[in-house]
Amino acid sequence: MTARGRLVFAPSRYGPDIVGGAEAVQRELAIGLAKRGWDVEVATTCAVDHFTWENTLPAGLSEIDGIPVRRFPAVAPLPERGVHEHAINLGVRPTLTDQYRWLNTGMRSPELYHYLLDNQHRFRGMVFAPYPTWMAVAGTQIAASRSVLWTCLHDEPYARLDVFRPMLTGAAGLFLMTEPEHDLLHRTVADPAPHAVVGATVPMATAYDPDGFCARHGIERPFVLFAGRREGAKGWEELLEAFERATIRLDLPFDLVTIGGGKVTPPPAIADRVIDLGFLPDDERDNAFAAAAASIQPSRYEAFSRTVMEAWLAGTPVIANAASEVVVWHCERSQAGITYRDAFELEECLSFLASCPEEAASLGQRGRAYVLEHYDPDAVLDNVDRVLDSWLNEPWEP
Amino acid sequence: MPRMLMVTPYPPQPDGIAAYAAQTVQRLRAAGDEVEVLSPGPSAAHHHLDLQGPRGALALAKRVRRYDRVSVQFHPEFFYRQPISRPSIVKESLALLAVAKAARHIEVRVHEIDYRWGRRLSFAGWATRRFWAAVDTVTVHTERERADFIKAFGVKPRRVRVVDHGSDFIAHTTLDRTTARETLGIAPDAICLLSIGFIQRHKGFDRAVRAFQQLTTNPRARLDVVGAVRLEDAANLAYLAELEALIDETPGAHLHAGFVSDESFDRWITASDVIVLPYRDIWSSGVLERALLLNRPVIATDVGGLREQAADRPGVTIVEDDVELTQALAQLLGPDTMAMWTQDASWPSGVARADEVQALISGRATARRGRPIPVVTVARQTAPAARRDQRLRSLAGLGLPTVQSDNPLASTVKRVVRRLTAWQVDPIIHQVNALHQATQELLLERSGEEGSTPTTLANTSVAPDDLEI
Repeated sequence: MTARGRLVFAPSRYGPDIVGGAEAVQRELAIGLAKRGWDVEVATTCAVDHFTWENTLPAGLSEIDGIPVRRFPAVAPLPERGVHEHAINLGVRPTLTDQYRWLNTGMRSPELYHYLLDNQHRFRGMVFAPYPTWMAVAGTQIAASRSVLWTCLHDEPYARLDVFRPMLTGAAGLFLMTEPEHDLLHRTVADPAPHAVVGATVPMATAYDPDGFCARHGIERPFVLFAGRREGAKGWEELLEAFERATIRLDLPFDLVTIGGGKVTPPPAIADRVIDLGFLPDDERDNAFAAAAASIQPSRYEAFSRTVMEAWLAGTPVIANAASEVVVWHCERSQAGITYRDAFELEECLSFLASCPEEAASLGQRGRAYVLEHYDPDAVLDNVDRVLDSWLNEPWEP
Repeated sequence: MPRMLMVTPYPPQPDGIAAYAAQTVQRLRAAGDEVEVLSPGPSAAHHHLDLQGPRGALALAKRVRRYDRVSVQFHPEFFYRQPISRPSIVKESLALLAVAKAARHIEVRVHEIDYRWGRRLSFAGWATRRFWAAVDTVTVHTERERADFIKAFGVKPRRVRVVDHGSDFIAHTTLDRTTARETLGIAPDAICLLSIGFIQRHKGFDRAVRAFQQLTTNPRARLDVVGAVRLEDAANLAYLAELEALIDETPGAHLHAGFVSDESFDRWITASDVIVLPYRDIWSSGVLERALLLNRPVIATDVGGLREQAADRPGVTIVEDDVELTQALAQLLGPDTMAMWTQDASWPSGVARADEVQALISGRATARRGRPIPVVTVARQTAPAARRDQRLRSLAGLGLPTVQSDNPLASTVKRVVRRLTAWQVDPIIHQVNALHQATQELLLERSGEEGSTPTTLANTSVAPDDLEI
């Protein structure tokens, strides 16, 4: 064990094939902090799919990127979860008992919980992410003074539930990625735990091959790109509907290329304009961003929006849902993205993209400069490292 | 290695017994025991099972055979369907008897029970005593509980042991007092009295507030009542509302209602100067143990096993009644406050007029109280409007009919129907109740706008004019 102490990352899912911004950042943090002298390990579940939580990976110890990874079985959500979920999303504030019922009927991992319970004194710090997960709530209750949270706070109904309050007020520290997230934290709890805005790591691609990407995938028309989980919470279905209307009404030249996980069921009228490439390796994903006329971010619940950064880094402009305070903040700071509040505005964004490709491209260049200036991975990791050192003061067992 | 099953509520749950159990499990596993946990609902436990009713206990009986030892954290609500009836006591006690018989060795840690169940000369009493007689070891926290338990349930004395309530307790915060205060917004020089725990009438937090009302002349003094309603039933919610109103009218008193995690629980204790436990009824107190663990003095009422629990332990003051409670708080808040409380100030001579006497009474009372009696408003409405609103106000919240029935088959069918339709019905009920609440609030707000009559809390009858005293 190193002198800096052991850190355990305890995300619900972990691995190179896991799609999700928070999950990717966890992996980069684990690798980066290990390089900075922390004795890092990961405790996670055997699941890959965050809908079914099926235990697809074997339980036990393995190694990824030189970091020991312990996997424990996940217990799948109960049907009752949906009832509570539905009520919460309707804006109903359930009783505290029902909030815990909602939490405990979602994915759980008792074995993982007991691993942390049994070994808590071995760890100088336990890192959980993101906030609205069973693992984060249960894990931070084991030893709050050793627990830090990669918060990913969104302005969503869950954020107002009492069940998360102890974690947001009592953890050893809360990592935040943006100033809007910081503001939201203060709007959510009056007495937040120690916290720091540290940004997030964005891996820097060394080269892009946009022409090769189009050739390899048989893409002939200009396209807009949606990268991420194809699900309601990410605004995918709304995007499909709006894209259909815009394409038909304005006779747009674009295809909609999508990469990531989840089902793609385009409306019949534009079925031939929607191209699903599924999961791509990191370098090919970067090529997709570089080849796109624009990257679309339709999600209203973003704590950082890694895909926006990846697009900008590739010099590609962004069209984003203005309901996401964080993405609007990025766009205003960088002057590298345009936002829409409804389907009409989205149509106009796409119309601008079609009519003014040069102006749109110049937006993308400003985006690249913005990412390089603010989210250099080494600078972010140095900051995280320094903050962790100041938050984690509990003695730990060798 | 022997296998052990612990039956208990378990984290993450807003439940003191769950936190207590997690600490015990941690200690046992650290000592090398192979412990699995079964909780009444889904949680971080390895298994979960609805334990309520005879079916729950019988399902548990099937499972306990696989373990060498079974440890049960017992509270009647975990096993007996509410509201408890004599037939249910019979059925559920006999089902629990099956659990005790099936287990190779069973230990039950009693957190609460109604002794009257065992004393009854009835089938229910017989069934309850049969269950407890079959338990290998019963553990309680004080000698008094032990004696009462043995007397009520006729259990052999050698089977009932006293265990230290705080034996498995560990501190959940490492913050010092200054930092803890900073995080909670408490001034460094404040004198902070703390009543913490579940908000229930038998915890008596209102007694602390009433005592504090008489001593608020010390501007540095504050009383913080911290906790959540454990079961959101009508009685507990009514008590919460009562407590809110009382605290609203008490300068220096603060209510922090909501779930308190283990960490924030200990942080509050660390930040405080004294823990006030004005219980009306309790067996023994985990809060007292946590306070002593964190080196904070305690003022507690003499109920249940508290006097015994506090015996020979420095830092605990046991008080008999509200007068002693107030005196104990006054002592803590300083000599000036104490003088205010204990003074027998003489009345000035030569005061003859009633209104002068009345003014003196008012002035003296205000000085004691530390503030004038607050003025609240009640609506002055036209009769038709009042009647119209009354109809709306008297509407109760929408709930579901109970699934319980005398006929077990009917109960099962109702429960199945309930589960099948919950996804549609529950959101509607939530929405209707949200509308109901919003309507009530609107009526209250509107009545204030239409015209209101200030009056005092003590006099909410017809009051044509201002009645500020």
